[in-house]
Parts: sequence; structure tokens; C-alpha cells
Amino acid sequence: MTGQVITVTSGKGGVGKTTFSANVSAALAALGKKTVAVDTDVGLRNLDIVMGLENRIVYDLVDVVEGRCRLQKAIIRDRRIDTLHLLAAAQTRDKNAVSPDAMEKICAELKHLFDYIIIDSPAGIERGFQNAIVGADEIAIITTPHVSAIRDADRVVGLLEAADKHKIRLVINRVQPAMVRRGDMLDIPDMLDILSIEPLGIIPEDEAIVTTSNKGELATQETTSKAGLAYMNIARRILGEDVPFLQLESGDGLLQWFKRLFRIK
Amino acid sequence: MKLWNKFLEQLQLTPGDSAPLAKERLRLALTYDRNGLEQGTVESLRREIVELMAQHLDIDASDVHVDIDESVGPNKLVASIALRPPRRAKVPVAMAGRTAESV
Repeated sequence: MTGQVITVTSGKGGVGKTTFSANVSAALAALGKKTVAVDTDVGLRNLDIVMGLENRIVYDLVDVVEGRCRLQKAIIRDRRIDTLHLLAAAQTRDKNAVSPDAMEKICAELKHLFDYIIIDSPAGIERGFQNAIVGADEIAIITTPHVSAIRDADRVVGLLEAADKHKIRLVINRVQPAMVRRGDMLDIPDMLDILSIEPLGIIPEDEAIVTTSNKGELATQETTSKAGLAYMNIARRILGEDVPFLQLESGDGLLQWFKRLFRIK
Repeated sequence: MKLWNKFLEQLQLTPGDSAPLAKERLRLALTYDRNGLEQGTVESLRREIVELMAQHLDIDASDVHVDIDESVGPNKLVASIALRPPRRAKVPVAMAGRTAESV
């Protein structure tokens, strides 16, 4: 078994890397793939609490790096989906506790144990980011339709290409279809045009993200969640399936048809 | 009037205009970011070019642009300077006619 390492990064903070990492890991696991989500945000860990596994952590990434335990001992299996696993970050240290070399070794080991390794990168472009990308086979860049996030995503693309990471795909998160239709939010073609990277997924703003994370559950498991469906589609695309992108209509279809008929924007 | 516009906005009948602005600003910002330039520096450069050109040529200072133009080539900073068209000397019409007849 040689697993695939996918690093989830963004530059900008708060755009949805951890939510993506948790949900797509769960989706891949639900599709039968042995998956581990790895939190590299040492000192500000969140993957564990988003996945609802915060009360299960005994050992973490830094314990493995510093030789206090074997890698397998630090990996937690999710009892709800038994193909889903977590390697948590340390909370009481910082990103200097891990080096790119150490991460590379860990990734190599994880590739023998799992089909998919989803690495949740911290925000920024410093040590944490460097640690997160070193072992990656492919990168998912998360952005939102905001000038700040897009500018940062563009910078990250440049850094990735300089680091010889060329398999990069874009995820556009927190899209609000009504605002896009009004011309008050950048639309998907605009963003793809500006950034010029292949799209991996488009995820709508969805209250289910808040409610599921409140409960330590994942939107992917919530059948009525549009974001959950988008994450599941992303997992299927990662597996090579050709899944069409969701039509993000917000339910006022008749009004939209009327406007289009009379060319009212 | 403002209240009416706000009402229309809420009905989503007036088109928003902030997204196209965002796209344009981003396009510019990213072009500069990618080329390692500062927009402020290029603007100062533009002003100095206007001063320099004006010493040697009759230029239209309001129509001088300095920008990255990727259509010209990769990483090309292009300056376009509008020259003022030369004024032609006016020839009195009557004199011109007489000159032709006398030949």
C-alpha cells in the first residue's frame, strides 16, 4: 500500500482548512479508504475538536517526533467510522518542535499504513506551512471569495511552485449564491480566471458546519447538508471520479428565471 | 431616495457592483505581487517619466501610463506616453485658390 499525501493549505487563516480536512477525511473513510487526518498546527490545534476526538488524545505529533512514542501509538481511530484516524498536534508547544525532515519521515511511514493522509496545514507561510507541504503528493488550496483570501492563495501557489509542488487544486469555500447573483460576491469563473488553477471543489456557506462542529460531528455525515454533499463530491474527485460541480441555487428559482427572461441582473 | 434604493437592493433588483471592482483590484494587486513590484513605486516611476519626457518632448501628461503588460511579453513593464499632436499652420483659402489659377 502506498498512500497518497494531500496537504490542505491556504495562506489566509480561517478559510476552512480544518473543516475541509476533517470532512474530506471522513468522506474518504466512508468511501472505504483507510484515512488519517494529521494536524500540523502545533500550539493551536483544532482538528481534534472539529472531529469530536478531543477527549481521546494521549500522544501527539510532537511525542512521535521527539521519540516518546511510536507513530502507531499516537494515531487515534474514530469509533464511528473505523477507517478514519487522527494524528493530533501538540497543544503546549509551537511549530519549531517539528522540522520538515521529521515530517518527511512521518509521511513516508504513514504512506505504508494508510490509503490517504490528509495534512491540515496551519495558516501562514512559515515553519508550520513548510512542515505541512514537504511530504505532499498533492495540495488542496482553500480560499473564500474575498480579496484577502485570494491574494494569499496566489502567494501560496507561487511558493508551492518554487518548492516543486505542482499538483495543486483549488477549493472555493463559503460561497453565497445569492450574493454572487447580485454581483456582490466574486463568482467561480472570476476566481478560477484570477488564480489559474484547476478546481477541486466549491462549497456553499452552510449552517450545518457550525451545528455539526458544535456537536463534534461532521457535515459529511449529515444527509441534508449542501456543504456535506460538496465535501463528499470532493472526496470522490480525489478518488478519480468525474463528479459535476453542484448547482448552487438558493431556492428562489422562479424569481431568477423571471429576471433572466427580462435580462434583469 | 436612499430608502427606496435600499428596498430595491433587498429585492435584489438593483445589480450590485462591488464584485467587478474586487476582480479588477485583485487583477492589479496580483500582477504587482507576482512581479515583486509595489504599486506605489510604479506610480512614482510614472511621475518621474512624465517629468523627464516633458523636458524633451511635447507630451500629454494626463495620458502617460506605466504598467505590467503581459501581452507584450513575460514580466514586461511598459510605458506609454501620449505625444501632443503637432499644430498645423493655417493657409488662407483665397490665396491658395489664386496660386493654383496663376500657374
